[in-house]
Amino acid sequence: MPDIHLRLDHVTKKFGETTAVDDVSFDVPRGSFATLLGPSGCGKTTTLRMIAGFYDPDAGDILVSGRRINDLPAHRRGTAMVFQDYALFPHMTVRDNVAYGLRVAGIAKDERERRVNETLEFVGLAKLGDRWPNQLSGGQQQRVAVGRALVLRPEVLLLDEPLSNLDAKLRVQLRWELRSLQQRLGMTFVYVTHDQDEALSLSDWIAVMNAGRVEQAGTPWEIYYHPKTSFLADFVGAVNLVPATVRDARGDDVTVAFGERSLTVRAPAGVALAAGTAVRLCVRPEALGLARHGASNTLPGTVARRAFLGDLMRYWVTVDGREWIVDQPDPGAGSPYDGEVSIEVRPERVHLIAES
Amino acid sequence: MRSLQREPGVLLALLAVIVLVAVFIVYPQVRVILTPGDTYVEFFTGGTWRNSLIHSLEVMALSTTTAVALGFVYAYAMVYTDMHWKPFFRLIGILPLLSPPFVVAASYVILFGPRGVITYGVFGQTISVFGLAGIWGVQTIAFFPFAYQLIADVLSRSDPRMEQAARNLGAGSWGVFRTVTLPLSRPGLGAAILTTAIYVLEDFGNPALIGGTFTVLPTQAYGLISGFGDLPGAAAVSTILLVLALVLYFAKVRLDGPRSFVTVSGRASSMPRPPVPAKVSWACFASCLALAGIITLVYGSLLVSALSVAFPGNPTPTLANFEYIFSGPNGTALQNTLVFGLTAAALSSLLALVAGWLTERGRWRGRRALDLLLIMPAAIPGLFFGIGYALAFNEPWLDWLDRGVLIIISMIFWNIPVGYQAAVSGLRQIDRSMDEAATSLGASSLRGFRDVLVPMLGGSIRVGFVTTFVRAVTTLSVVIFLFTSSSTVATIRIFQLVSDLNWGRATAFTVADIGLSIAALGIVAVLARGRIALGGARA
Repeated sequence: MPDIHLRLDHVTKKFGETTAVDDVSFDVPRGSFATLLGPSGCGKTTTLRMIAGFYDPDAGDILVSGRRINDLPAHRRGTAMVFQDYALFPHMTVRDNVAYGLRVAGIAKDERERRVNETLEFVGLAKLGDRWPNQLSGGQQQRVAVGRALVLRPEVLLLDEPLSNLDAKLRVQLRWELRSLQQRLGMTFVYVTHDQDEALSLSDWIAVMNAGRVEQAGTPWEIYYHPKTSFLADFVGAVNLVPATVRDARGDDVTVAFGERSLTVRAPAGVALAAGTAVRLCVRPEALGLARHGASNTLPGTVARRAFLGDLMRYWVTVDGREWIVDQPDPGAGSPYDGEVSIEVRPERVHLIAES
Repeated sequence: MRSLQREPGVLLALLAVIVLVAVFIVYPQVRVILTPGDTYVEFFTGGTWRNSLIHSLEVMALSTTTAVALGFVYAYAMVYTDMHWKPFFRLIGILPLLSPPFVVAASYVILFGPRGVITYGVFGQTISVFGLAGIWGVQTIAFFPFAYQLIADVLSRSDPRMEQAARNLGAGSWGVFRTVTLPLSRPGLGAAILTTAIYVLEDFGNPALIGGTFTVLPTQAYGLISGFGDLPGAAAVSTILLVLALVLYFAKVRLDGPRSFVTVSGRASSMPRPPVPAKVSWACFASCLALAGIITLVYGSLLVSALSVAFPGNPTPTLANFEYIFSGPNGTALQNTLVFGLTAAALSSLLALVAGWLTERGRWRGRRALDLLLIMPAAIPGLFFGIGYALAFNEPWLDWLDRGVLIIISMIFWNIPVGYQAAVSGLRQIDRSMDEAATSLGASSLRGFRDVLVPMLGGSIRVGFVTTFVRAVTTLSVVIFLFTSSSTVATIRIFQLVSDLNWGRATAFTVADIGLSIAALGIVAVLARGRIALGGARA
């Protein structure tokens, strides 16, 4: 039984008529990097803000280390937050920004300076302590925001899309910094983002939210390869979702029919599929292979268009009037495919989603 | 609501603000409205108010029209043309905002009165210049700078990019103005016209000095009290005045929101506007020069009069007038003006800041009502406000209360909308994530307010402070029923000296009073490194 650090228990939040967060429950183990992922308006930020104490839930409980914190004012929760726009205090230097929480807590000057220096060192800002926020680059400001929250050694560190205001390259670099910070400190992070790459690469655990509900929660691996709904499969990464019907279900094997073809694949865990059930084949583009026309055990199709993405070539291939996306790695290794091709489907790479 | 219960400090601050607003804004007004009681019927059937009401409306229509027309020309010239002498014209435009409102009337009497420099001195005439025509002319000159500030603010808010786009699509400069600028700024212009109308309607000083037998509502209310001791009658007249002002005010709010104070800021437009034809530019320059000339004449004649034995009869230079105003009880009046003004400005800004934070950042029910009450004094005629304080707090059991304190309190609350609106608009420009950052780092919301928001609101606090100070030291109508001989202020002494036809001393006092305003503005401008900002004063 893992040590549950943060628990949301049937939490609901309404704004007027709209239900922003609808009966959400989840557990975050201590020391894990947990991510709330979803499109804008899905309720992820509202959930984070309820944890921080900026909104009061209309129903349900929020527990930290088993203690209910619903009635604790925001400033007593020990849930320091890193904001999307950093919210650095413009009238304080970097050092004063980082020291602010300690000053409020009444930490003595010596101890305060020691911890501020330690934190500045930790986030790589040791030399910039006397700068003002407006003298820093976006990435540096972001580090100050993280340092300012970390210095308090919060129970749970909340991060609200902290990388979304940075350019792509810096974003990727800071991802690794954040992840390594979290692992070195062993602290519990709750991270909100709409960026699936970020969620997949950073997290121990992801809850994908849609329309105020948690659609699925689990490891990045589970979310990516075994999504429970079409929405999930589509939201996280590119995917082929092909309508099909269960022809036969026996033990771990399920035979499905799509168009005039059929395929026997592994049954998804925890879902009973009777014959006649409508399902979708869920295959990631990179799990498909492409070959010249005529190879055996393949789907024959025609290349409709292709896009060169650098590290891979993405093809849209028409099979029986339906477009499949196929990614081929290392495009430079040969000349691109054109015209008639065959798609290679490996049954063990196909996941089934029951149509709801 | 729940968040309030969790933070007793905030709840306490809120209760304090509510009590203060109830006692010092709501209660005095209710007292005025209720005072006539049964005599309302008698009063309204008696009809003595009819003439004043008609006069007030007449004057309002005439003066507002001309003041707005001149103000518009001035504003258009300042915002759209690249004419010469703009810094000079800007300075001239600010000067009236720093003066007691009746300076124009005073200089008008000096120039055009029975022994006026121009009428008697140049033309040898002793024509009557009092009454409607006089008030109209004086108010036009007195209030066009206010109209200018309001309209310039509206015009400068129109986006130069729209105008560039219209030019790019082939419109001429007049076409751009008619089809883009004007339609976009119509609500703002409407609001500016209504605000000017309120200033004119509530003006007490000018009609009091040159109205003669031509009474308007504020002067009738004053006359009823000072001449007949008829408090119920005065209360009834002021209530009519209040109703008119409120109608105008809420019409204005519908058009433009509650921002009701002229503000001058050093904001520079980032993109140039399309140029206007040279002919228009020159016509604008000529108009501005003429208007600036009149303003210069007004203030120049005051200064000359203050430095003369008995201008214009005996223009021998002397410093006797200034020696007089700095001596004995007059020195006290000047000192009171400074002390009352500073105290009121400091406390009003502080209270406004806390109140602005509570209504802008709070999530408790009823904050819209508190917001309305806090901006309401902006619509209340000064005379009405003063009568309210006289009625509410001139009670025997309050005899221990120093009248000076009462004057300070009246200045605090009459001016609270200035600081309040400055604080609210300042807070609106600070993202809530600032408050939340402080909170998430462990600061209570009061602590976050003190540590984070207040330092960031520096500019708004300065605007509120200077504007409140200027309005406090230049108001006549609010304090005219509240002063005693030991708690008199400059504007009261000026009014008394003018009534005694002691022009030299009155103008010296006026010059000193304006000097206080300019000094306050200057000091704050220096502290703020040249970024000046202030709101408009009125009667």
